[in-house]
Amino acid sequence: MTHDKIARRTFIAGASAAGVALSAPAVHAQQPVTITFRFNDPEAPQLRAALDEFERANPAIKVTMQRVSWADAQQQFLREAATGTAPDVAQLAFVWPRAFGGARALKPLDEFVRRGIGVRGWDDFVARDLAVGADGAIYGVPWTTDTFAIYYNKEMLSAAGVSAFPTDWEALRAASQAVQQRTGKSGWAFPAGSCGTPSIWFFLNYYWWGKGPGLVDRNPDGRFRISMTAQEIQDGFDYYNRYLQEGHNPRASLSVCLWGAPEVVEGMVAGNIAMCSVPDPVAIEIATKWQQRNPGRPLPFASAPHPAGPNGSKTHLGGRMLGMGSSTRYPEQAWKLIEFLNKPDPTFTRHYTNYTPAQLAALEARTWTPDLLGFPAQLRTARSWGAYGTGPVTIPFMWNAVGRAAGSAFIGEKTPAQSAQELHDALTRELARTQR
Amino acid sequence: MASHSTASAVPAPAVSGRRKRPPSERGFLFTALAPPFFLLICFYVYPTVFNVENSLTDLSLFGLRDGGEWIGLENYVELMTSPDFRRVVWNTVVWLTVVGVSVRIVLGLALAFLLNSATLKRWRLSTISRILLIVPWATPPVVAIIVWRWLLDPRVGAVNAALISLGIIDQPIAFLATAGWVWPAVITIITWNTLPLVTLTFMASLQSLPHELIEAAEIDGASKWQVMRYVYIPHLKPAIVIMVLMSTFWTFNNFIYIWLTTGAGPGTYTNVMATEIYIKAFIEGRLGYSSAAGVVMATIMTIFGLIYLRVIAERELKEEGEA
Repeated sequence: MTHDKIARRTFIAGASAAGVALSAPAVHAQQPVTITFRFNDPEAPQLRAALDEFERANPAIKVTMQRVSWADAQQQFLREAATGTAPDVAQLAFVWPRAFGGARALKPLDEFVRRGIGVRGWDDFVARDLAVGADGAIYGVPWTTDTFAIYYNKEMLSAAGVSAFPTDWEALRAASQAVQQRTGKSGWAFPAGSCGTPSIWFFLNYYWWGKGPGLVDRNPDGRFRISMTAQEIQDGFDYYNRYLQEGHNPRASLSVCLWGAPEVVEGMVAGNIAMCSVPDPVAIEIATKWQQRNPGRPLPFASAPHPAGPNGSKTHLGGRMLGMGSSTRYPEQAWKLIEFLNKPDPTFTRHYTNYTPAQLAALEARTWTPDLLGFPAQLRTARSWGAYGTGPVTIPFMWNAVGRAAGSAFIGEKTPAQSAQELHDALTRELARTQR
Repeated sequence: MASHSTASAVPAPAVSGRRKRPPSERGFLFTALAPPFFLLICFYVYPTVFNVENSLTDLSLFGLRDGGEWIGLENYVELMTSPDFRRVVWNTVVWLTVVGVSVRIVLGLALAFLLNSATLKRWRLSTISRILLIVPWATPPVVAIIVWRWLLDPRVGAVNAALISLGIIDQPIAFLATAGWVWPAVITIITWNTLPLVTLTFMASLQSLPHELIEAAEIDGASKWQVMRYVYIPHLKPAIVIMVLMSTFWTFNNFIYIWLTTGAGPGTYTNVMATEIYIKAFIEGRLGYSSAAGVVMATIMTIFGLIYLRVIAERELKEEGEA
């Protein structure tokens, strides 16, 4: 009797276990897979709406959005990738995929890209060179593109006696000074502060690139060199320092670091600043806020490319990429999300509307409001980071070092000549260390 | 001799001063001590050894999966020969620590005397003053820094507005971006947020001082200065010694006040060791180098702690004990 009971119990237990085991895949298949998406821009609610739309179109996939500030995004992602906890899909700066691919933090996407991506395929994406690692594999898909242009208040420039927007660097400084002298307001109040990712890095490079070579260049033999002299570096420091010394960029700008800082946006909206150098999403933010405060009034803003030097008007081709964490357990689902986010409609038409897709088809189709016409003009002359991105001296190193050297010159901690020489020496040392 | 004869009369364990513990007691001690030792090894010894090991490599943020290559003392040589690092050490030791701690101790003492004074009690302001004193301490540093950044802002800050309206200045000052002002501004923020603990510690010590001592000194004809010099200060010495030691450790290692207030700028003007370690590790990606900087930082603090405890604290506390 007891023996029978045990046998029956054993049979029931075994049958139950087998049933659970057999039904597990079916249950698993019914449960949606949850993937993570790391998003660093301020437009979180808009992106969440896009992700909701993605989830409705793909009921078997749920997306959790994670937020990290851009300032911490790089190190956070690399540390997570090293321990296998990086997000499935991440928003990346244009210059990150190459280095991240080398660090094995991103999954190669060649296999997925071959299936087709975007409106007109992979060849239609801008900045594809930045998406490719040193090993030739694709580690990111360009998502949005932008560059900085000068966004200015026409009425303030007109009041300062400036009828046409300046096209060379000295004329720009003179216009900025005229604004201050004639109206008492600030001219080009660029953020001059020091931090890990200061805006002055961009403005100095625009000045240097327009006039001559960049900081780093590649030799014909494939090795890299510091291609600027200390004097050329100093010329850039001196140029921007004059804005501060002459007072048309107030010294308060020394405590502002980022291009889209509230001080810049609010200064433009309130009419206390005549000009700023920003990417188009920030210009749209300024225009939107101005219109909210001045309903019915015509927008006083316009945009123009940065001044030109012998090399023309040069800014950087910037933007965001999307990459897949190397440890993702759901590459197919992650790729579906990347594909979805790269479709101009609905992501860019309904949700992420302040940004331009990094595809030529979408760029050609984009309509620009009159105040933003300087941005497509600047995009046509923008350059890739080139040797900055492919060389051994990392952009974060140069970004931090240039910003701090400029800051030291601006506050008088060091003379511009001393600061420029020290920066040149630091770059030379870093190149020697990393290129050996 | 006396001790020798006493020792001969007493059984062996007392001679050596060490009693052999029964096995059960040893087992209990081992069981009681094992968990903290285990935790110490996991969370202190291992990370320290790991950090020292990293400091001898060229480990990079971009090479975490591969690990760094052994480069011996190269990172330390680079540190010691770098003029930038010398400046960083100077900022950390002199501005952040010596000036910062001194201001806190002096103001803490002054405030403790004020809050303990009979005048405040007479005007029934003691309780409200003490409650107000707690407010900065209860404010998280991040909040305190954001509030102070706005207060000191040259465009919309209340400090500049007040100074201009009082006619003290005619142009706003960028306190956090001007070489002459940035360190005083940073120290003001740190002091505001951390002064209450120092003050409360001194107040507690003051309140334990028997009033009869002060009365006796006054009856003996001691002036106010002499009462302060010979009664109050000796009584406060142990508290001062402890607060100097603790404040120095907290301040020297501090990262958040500098990073969130100035980002180690303008330029490198407020770059201290903690921010330098962060910049090298997480902006430039040089984890090996920043580990070396961390080892140097820990070494400086260890040396300071040992010397301080050995030379000053031991003497002061011993004198207090004898008294």
